[in-house]
Amino acid sequence: MIASLVLLGLALPATQAQTGAVRLAITRDEGWLNPYTYQTGFPGWNIMTLVYDTLYYPDANNEPIPWLVRDTRVSIDGRTWTLTLRPNLRWHDGRPLTSDDVKFTFEYAAKVAHSRWTPTTRNLEGVDAPNPQTVVFRLKQPDAGFRLRTLADVPVLPRHIWESVTTVAAARAFRNTVGSGPYRVEEVQDNQFYRLVATPQYFAGPVKVRELVLPIVRDATVSFTALQAGQIDATSRVLTPELVAQFEKTQGLKVARGAGFASTILQFNLEHPLLRDVRLRRAIANAINTNLMVRLLMLGYAVVGSPGYLHPDSPFYAQGLRFEASKARAVTILNEAGYTDRNSDGIREAPDGTPLQFTVLTLAGNPIRIRGAELIRTWLKDVGIGLTIRVAEDAAIIDQVWPDFDVCKGRRFDMSMFGWSAPVMTRPTALVDLFHSNCQRGTINIGGYKNPEVDRLGEQLVVTVDLARQKQIASQMQQIIARDLPIHVLFYQDTIMAYRPSAYDKWVFQKGQGYVTKLSFVDPPK
Amino acid sequence: MRVGGVGTLGLTLLVVLVASGILAPWIAPYPPDETTGAPFTPPSRMHLLGTNDVGQDILSELIFGVRISLTIGFLAAILAISIGTLAGVVAGYFSGWVDATLMRLVDIVLVVPFLPLMILLAAYLGPSFWNIILVIGALVWARPARVIRAQVLSLRRLDFVDAAVALGASSGRLLLRHILPGVLSLALAQFILAASNAILIEASLSFLGLGDPTAKSWGSTLYYAQARSAFLSGAWKWWVLPPGLLITAAVLGFAFTGFALEEVLNPRLRR
Amino acid sequence: MARFFAGKGVQYALVLLFAVTLNFLLPRMMPGSPLVFLVGEDVGFMSADQRAQLIHAFGLDQPLWRQYVIYLAGLARADLGHSFQQGRPVLEIILGRVGWTVLLVGISLLLATLIGITWGTAAAWRRGRRLDLGSLGAAMLLESMPSFWLAMIFIAVFAAGLRWFPVFGAMTPGAGLRGWPQMVNVAWHLTLPLATLTIITIPGMFLIMRYSMLSVLGEQYIATARSKGLAERGVMFRHAMRNALLPVATVFMLNLGYVVSGATVVETVFSYPGVGRLLFEAVLARDYPVLQGTFFVLTVSVITANIGADLLYPLIDPRVRHAR
Repeated sequence: MIASLVLLGLALPATQAQTGAVRLAITRDEGWLNPYTYQTGFPGWNIMTLVYDTLYYPDANNEPIPWLVRDTRVSIDGRTWTLTLRPNLRWHDGRPLTSDDVKFTFEYAAKVAHSRWTPTTRNLEGVDAPNPQTVVFRLKQPDAGFRLRTLADVPVLPRHIWESVTTVAAARAFRNTVGSGPYRVEEVQDNQFYRLVATPQYFAGPVKVRELVLPIVRDATVSFTALQAGQIDATSRVLTPELVAQFEKTQGLKVARGAGFASTILQFNLEHPLLRDVRLRRAIANAINTNLMVRLLMLGYAVVGSPGYLHPDSPFYAQGLRFEASKARAVTILNEAGYTDRNSDGIREAPDGTPLQFTVLTLAGNPIRIRGAELIRTWLKDVGIGLTIRVAEDAAIIDQVWPDFDVCKGRRFDMSMFGWSAPVMTRPTALVDLFHSNCQRGTINIGGYKNPEVDRLGEQLVVTVDLARQKQIASQMQQIIARDLPIHVLFYQDTIMAYRPSAYDKWVFQKGQGYVTKLSFVDPPK
Repeated sequence: MRVGGVGTLGLTLLVVLVASGILAPWIAPYPPDETTGAPFTPPSRMHLLGTNDVGQDILSELIFGVRISLTIGFLAAILAISIGTLAGVVAGYFSGWVDATLMRLVDIVLVVPFLPLMILLAAYLGPSFWNIILVIGALVWARPARVIRAQVLSLRRLDFVDAAVALGASSGRLLLRHILPGVLSLALAQFILAASNAILIEASLSFLGLGDPTAKSWGSTLYYAQARSAFLSGAWKWWVLPPGLLITAAVLGFAFTGFALEEVLNPRLRR
Repeated sequence: MARFFAGKGVQYALVLLFAVTLNFLLPRMMPGSPLVFLVGEDVGFMSADQRAQLIHAFGLDQPLWRQYVIYLAGLARADLGHSFQQGRPVLEIILGRVGWTVLLVGISLLLATLIGITWGTAAAWRRGRRLDLGSLGAAMLLESMPSFWLAMIFIAVFAAGLRWFPVFGAMTPGAGLRGWPQMVNVAWHLTLPLATLTIITIPGMFLIMRYSMLSVLGEQYIATARSKGLAERGVMFRHAMRNALLPVATVFMLNLGYVVSGATVVETVFSYPGVGRLLFEAVLARDYPVLQGTFFVLTVSVITANIGADLLYPLIDPRVRHAR
């Protein structure tokens, strides 16, 4: 037993170029790790792409680099994309991967609904496969995000396996994991772990880790305890602020830190009779001391939010855009706007007599957000605005804030603590998704914000392919949003990842997201 | 007299806790919801039990937590005993189909798996102060109902009740003047046991994240301790041990008191 | 006997029906839509008709009574539906995890009963003296402790601190062990949760055994046996214990029903992949079919245990057996 303990407790060190086995803990069950059964955007999609390849792949800076594709030609009008695949691509079962599979994949995505990439196929007029190496995409409209959002996102499916799976229900229960990626799914233990084994002779080059074991550890505390105790070598979970100092000092552990793109925001309901007044929103934002929040809640491991939404490290950030909160200014704004406390109960009233009393929703399972809400409540009380905190389960919050995930269905709330995950930050068109007033285009405009100027700029942004022009438009949009404050961005939590270098040390840190990326295990193809 | 010793110990515990709760603003060194130090600091002269994840004094939090935890316990127990006593008295006194129906209901509640149902209800109703009380009350009433019913049945058989009926006393009068008083002391014992149960359940639900984390009960202190990695950083010694000890003390206080009362009151247990 | 059964049979059937209906209705009444857990988090980026397509594919647009009928028909076929999250049959998921729970709680119940019986007997025999009072105090202390608190302390001290035991799971993931090494690995992972659960269960058994022994020791026939001049010990074992064991046996049977639900908190804290933990995960994920299915299995197991206790009692207690 001692012998097996010793063997299990240490990963075998690298012999030659390939490391033996690495244990990377993930946070929840991810189905069968194929495109229709994985569960989460992160790390689910990332792990699924270890088994399946996409045409492009995001690099460490979130720029799409060619992967299955060897070269690309785009027509002048931006509507025809001709891609040449690399030669000798194979599926795990030995069959060749050809343009026919690519064509099949995109037609399949349009037919068999998938929440993540079916929407991106809406802009496709058609996909042709004139010969086994060439794929031609014909778009309806030019699309600035085509490479990142579509080509670097949709995994290619083997036609010979998926053509018989014709309904959504069948797809979501389909267990087959034959892909083309650097790893094969070797073993799945229900709710306990996955075991992936490296594909011999992967086209892009040698795979650096022979075997990946992915235990499912749902609790944050348990996963960090296990990491510290040496039971796992790495985890997809971001290290919580309170453990950073301790882990940095621990022998045998290394901590990698970088900007994080997941945001924590205070979302306003712009249709609320009181909150539709921009002055009130500005006053509320001024009362919130985000600097102190970052120090207290995140122990300094976060970046204060930018009022235009985009992270200062994002290439599309409007340079110099900042929000300086000031309690004095909050009081001034409130007084000048006519919100005074007429009955001396500590809560100001609007000119028509309605008290400034709001409810803020916050997620039950997220203690940091709850604490954030408590801090906000204290600060708002200081300026005479009353806040009640309502802690609720995810489904209950979604029901009020984003019913059925359909912005068109309206909303019924005052304010809510909310957050968007990293992928929302990596594309400039996120500004359209977040702020366009048409509920079909502003698919995550959960506050119901309406500004025709922002709409116009957004529509322009989507069809602009020139990078410099994109940045210009994005900057203008952010300036307007910073004035209107439909949402108040509190902070962006840093991405801090801990791991055991003795087990594996060649992790690649993807900006804003972490080290669970295909690039950590295989170098980009030349 | 040994029983008396146990009972005294229990009552003492309770009195000390209740007193701390009432005197909280005076004995707690700081207001519990104010950030009075840096987050995650170990015990020091300024903060005898250190600070929590947002720099609030843990000792003060626990002292004020007495109010919340005991209140939830009390209110849930009151709800449970009210329902339970009513059901038990009505079932025992009126017999027939009323009795059968009520006891069926009791059996159903007792058979359905307790904690899973509680988790489900708590998740359904949402994490709030009153919902927790409702959930606990809705499930804890069954056992007292049974016990009280048995007591009512034995009371009914007593001679003086037959005599009263023969003399033409109405049901209401009988219930009020003869049955109810006989049941009250047992109900009190059951109440105390229910309260001890309720405090434990609230702690478990809060810890699992199904309670109201903004109501600073001991269970929610443990929730934050767990969620903010107290077990990894050694902070558990001052952030986890004390609330758990307090919960144990409160539950024990109720249990000892209730146990002593039951020994004294329940005729079947006497030698 | 048959009449006895008819009465109880109806009662259990009612309980089952009530539980089943409750199980069905409650999840349906919860706020929010299960859509996020149907298709994963990225559902926000779908169009309205694609979401509608998904809702239809999973039967959520049917009227409530229709869903109920489908549910009942499924139960009759032992079809508990498919997990929203995993797309696998619920029954399969539950069966895959029941084993761990049975292992954990079965052993702890056995251990707790054995220890409880011994301890209770000893305390009852020495009623009123130091052993008894100390035991009572200790038992009540243990019963007053929150189980999750005890569990976390064990983890902090023995797993994270001393590193004698693992922090989570039932087996070391991906180790591919078989045979004896596998059993050892499982036992190693089982130790802390088992210790926690056993410690929590002992007081209950102790108290019942103690009360039971006390009431038996007060009975006439024990006095008779004593007057025959039997050695004290003989009296205790042959007469008192056998009769005192009755309620314990009953409670043991009833506790078997709680086998799968009683360990929920312990399983959750130790991340032990049993049915209790499955229930908690299903609630958090709003995975309705798994929720309903787990409830159903738990309720059925409790009812079965009750029936078992009812069947067993006459066999053990000679007085009831000869009554009819």
